[in-house]
Amino acid sequence: MAKPALQFAQNLAHKPATAIILIAVLLGFTFIDSLDLTEEYIFGAYAKHILFISLIYSVVTLSLNFVTGYVGQTSLGHAAFFGLGGYVSALTTSLLHLPYGVAFILSGLVAALVGLPLGAPALRIKGPFLVVVTYGCGEVFKFIAINLDITGGPAGLPGLISPTLGIAFSDIGVTGKEAFIVAALILALVLAFIMYRLEDSRVGHAFAAIRQDEIAAASMGINPAYYKLMAFVFGAFFAGLAGSLFAHYMSFISPDMLSSNESIMMLTMVVIGGARSIPGAFLGAFLLTITPEFLRFVKDVFGLSYDPWLVLFGLLLVVMMRVKPQGLLGAETVFRR
Amino acid sequence: MLQQIINGLALGGVYALIAIGWTVVFGIVGLINWTHGEVFMIGAFAGYLVITTYHVNFFVALVVAMFFGGLVAYLIERLAYRPLRTGPKLALFITALGASIFIRNLAAIIWEPQSRAYPATFEASVMTWQLGSTVLTINTLQIMIFAVTLVIMAFLQWFITRTMMGKAMLAASQDLEAVSLMGVDVNHLITITFWVSGMLGGAAGVLVGVLYAIDPMMGAMAGLKGWAVAVLGGVGSISGAMVAGLLLGVIENISTTFISSGYRDAIAFVIMIATLVIKPTGLMGFKFEDKV
Repeated sequence: MAKPALQFAQNLAHKPATAIILIAVLLGFTFIDSLDLTEEYIFGAYAKHILFISLIYSVVTLSLNFVTGYVGQTSLGHAAFFGLGGYVSALTTSLLHLPYGVAFILSGLVAALVGLPLGAPALRIKGPFLVVVTYGCGEVFKFIAINLDITGGPAGLPGLISPTLGIAFSDIGVTGKEAFIVAALILALVLAFIMYRLEDSRVGHAFAAIRQDEIAAASMGINPAYYKLMAFVFGAFFAGLAGSLFAHYMSFISPDMLSSNESIMMLTMVVIGGARSIPGAFLGAFLLTITPEFLRFVKDVFGLSYDPWLVLFGLLLVVMMRVKPQGLLGAETVFRR
Repeated sequence: MLQQIINGLALGGVYALIAIGWTVVFGIVGLINWTHGEVFMIGAFAGYLVITTYHVNFFVALVVAMFFGGLVAYLIERLAYRPLRTGPKLALFITALGASIFIRNLAAIIWEPQSRAYPATFEASVMTWQLGSTVLTINTLQIMIFAVTLVIMAFLQWFITRTMMGKAMLAASQDLEAVSLMGVDVNHLITITFWVSGMLGGAAGVLVGVLYAIDPMMGAMAGLKGWAVAVLGGVGSISGAMVAGLLLGVIENISTTFISSGYRDAIAFVIMIATLVIKPTGLMGFKFEDKV
């Protein structure tokens, strides 16, 4: 059962027509209720909320793929950029009263700028040490957000503006935030296109060389420092943009967005979907967003007193690494020892 | 100031115990043992459960907790890590992450997520000293925890430097392959390593439980602080971890008075990052060479 499904998903990557159909289905799903075809809404606000969250995590997973997938640097601090983007855009709109467009771009730029010094340790520190450094950076960010007054402390900042981004369907839409779904979709597609084009470019080959053997790559005249920083900054930029969309969609931001649990989730989305696989990133993000929601439903049906998701998630990771360490849609030889 | 140092020493000893548990596994297997915090939590709960159900004294609880800590660490190695030992490093790390999430949340289901405190097992008295104009208060619990930590460390030092197995472990932390060529059974050695690591974690769990409240999620922060201490002391170095543990305990307590208690938990990470950027070998570590 699982195998044909996987093959189908793999085929999607190579057939633009299928991708276009999928996008059309997503858009139809989003806007069918705006047409007022039926009395009741066909898809509830909840379903659209899940769709938006999945798309945002797709963007984040794709952006983390630059660091973890292409250059092979395991980062456990990606949520720091995600949250930073959210906070930057929250503060620019609420404190400086700048329009959302400015805040959106600014959030990406600031995240990228911060990604530069945070990426710098990665030039000297490798493997397991880099994991804990990125993790530590993320935690420090969280403590700063909790302790500063300007970021609203542990409670966060409520009441952020949720612009319609010029999409006028919102007055008849279900959540009034369809524009965010479209924006997230566009962002994900842009990123997916960049990654698709990157694979066979000069930069893509340099990334691959560094990932496979850094010393050999350096001896061939590739500057590992330059490309590693590039991957970090690029990943941070898009994570920041995604964070901005997320914060304004929720119209609320809290330090939870920066938490290490978020970072762990993002890394596992990359690994479960398959590193460097574009459909894999989408699959990982959708799977790990929808499954916990589904299990919450299961919990209510069976009247369980606990949420089974996290236990199953831990078990899933262990089993997955035994059975298919390269991820669901990853290439066979993803990791080197 | 002196008061903060005294408070810090008891906590620092516990950090050192956790850090040594991290560092022996990293030194030999080269794995960030993300589950070590969970072993620590299991130890704390094992101690709590025997004390509340069988009303045993503290030292019995300590031994029981060390046994269960060792057992859990061994089981994790046997079931999760060993099949992947020759596999890719990232897969091994994700397995550790998954096992940690699994154990933590399973514990929250079995033992309920709320925090609880150890019942008072013995009379804890508070001593006060007049030193010039300052008054120092020392809890006997703190002294006892510090003493237990010292005894465990002395025992560990004896084990590492005086027994055949310990010497093999020390050698393996420098070059596992060479040790296996010298006729040491690597599987056996790694099993012993995880037992030692788990027992240290379990002991630390009980010692923390006596001082503070315990809950199933306590392993996350403790495990990471252990890692920070291990890095500061120099990864793979046991004596380094001892010194760094005491240092972090003291620094944390001092920073609470001089900076802000809100940043208390962040101190460990800042120290760790600074260590890795400025002096990656830590206080007493040796260099992990890049192999071509």
